[in-house]
Amino acid sequence: MESEIEPVIEPVLEVGEFYQLLTARLESAFGRRHPHWVRGEIAKVYEKGHVYIDLVDTGSASTDTKRPVLNTHCWATQWAPIRRNLAEDGVTLKPGLIVSFYGYVDLYAPQGKIGFTITQVDVQSLLGDVARRRLELIARLQGEGLLELNKRVILSPVPLRVGLVASPGTEGYSDFTGQLLNSGYGFDIILQKTAVQGESAPPQIVRAIESLDAHGVDLICLVRGGGSKGDLACFDDERVARAIAHCSTPVFTGIGHTGDESIADLVAHTRAITPTRLGEEIAAIVETWHQRQVKIPAQRILDATQEILDEATEYVAERRRTMIFAVRDRLRAERRHLSSIRTSLITHSRHVITVAEQLLGAKRQLLAAYDPKRRLAQGWSIVTNNRGEVVKTLADVEIGDVVHVSLSDGAFDSSVTEKNGAAS
Amino acid sequence: MSNINDWKQATDELDDIVASFDEGEVSVDDLFVKLERATAIIESLEARLDATKAKVEELAPRLAKVVDVE
Repeated sequence: MESEIEPVIEPVLEVGEFYQLLTARLESAFGRRHPHWVRGEIAKVYEKGHVYIDLVDTGSASTDTKRPVLNTHCWATQWAPIRRNLAEDGVTLKPGLIVSFYGYVDLYAPQGKIGFTITQVDVQSLLGDVARRRLELIARLQGEGLLELNKRVILSPVPLRVGLVASPGTEGYSDFTGQLLNSGYGFDIILQKTAVQGESAPPQIVRAIESLDAHGVDLICLVRGGGSKGDLACFDDERVARAIAHCSTPVFTGIGHTGDESIADLVAHTRAITPTRLGEEIAAIVETWHQRQVKIPAQRILDATQEILDEATEYVAERRRTMIFAVRDRLRAERRHLSSIRTSLITHSRHVITVAEQLLGAKRQLLAAYDPKRRLAQGWSIVTNNRGEVVKTLADVEIGDVVHVSLSDGAFDSSVTEKNGAAS
Repeated sequence: MSNINDWKQATDELDDIVASFDEGEVSVDDLFVKLERATAIIESLEARLDATKAKVEELAPRLAKVVDVE
């Protein structure tokens, strides 16, 4: 006997019933109680309270219309703490980032869509990816010679016109400007206000740098106080790095705390570890110039002036002394000369007198030998005529003349009565 | 007697006078004339030096202020 197999009649489900069944099946394998880790590249991010992220296979081409897409979402209440944690680590979910999400599948029947509800984000893998991207960016910048480009821009020796990219009212801004304003130098600060954290910061910073570069300042300072890695992430932005590198004005950075080093720091002309330190270093540059170009020359002028005056004073005093002594010496010499002449004259005169006296003595002695008195004493007598002439010959008298006869003890008169020649 | 306007010219003339004394070239007749000239030059130099010092005294504190400014 042939038995008939009764056909299995599959129930025909309404759409809603089908989705209920599907949801039950999905939940049993991928539902809230069976979460999975899914890894992919972010293709699109949309945030409005809740966040919606489309994930695709890593490295898949955006032109590939058949590439699988996973529509993930994270409800606002769940997203807030995740977003905060990511921000603290400097991570912002954006297209191109490779992420791992933990969550479960859900089915949205009204649109017939399967979605993925995110409950956790693998921060560690994200951080690794961020770090890798950072290193890649640094390598790229280095390869293009951009790390050194701005360092080669020559800094003004007196950078008093300071372009400042910062957010007024922040601690970093106050610390930096405080150093410049208290330095005693007339810094002219040209401020370009920008956000210094968040998604909007990089384009604003880029515009600020370009604007100040065009404005013409001595240097541009990029200043931001301390913060989390997330707060400082905008200074690792490639657009900011390229803007700094290509800037024709030296760009100085003072970002974060000691130990923070952003890509902006790497490409900058000069990097200070904090905004305060940056202000100090700029003030020190001006002080160095002031010292070298103003203070030291002024001191040299003062010293040289004093030296010239001292030398001139000493010269005049020395010449005054020299003149006094020279004149005195000259007069003394003249006096000595006169004295010498006088002495010589006296000596000479005395000699002449002595010689004369000696001659005179000799004469006197000679004369004494011829003294008539001596002759008279010897018995000789001297006869003079009436004219007082000594009678030496008979011719000197005539008969009848009265002659005067002098003797040693007196004289007498006598009449000539006769003349007799001696030979006759 | 020529005017003493130039410091260098004046000091050169003064040096010449002193040298003439050093070399014993000054006669008694010239002595007074040279001494008078040297005295005039020295007094002129001193007057100019005093005037310069006064001006320097006036300017030096201003320059010192530049050096001492903190």
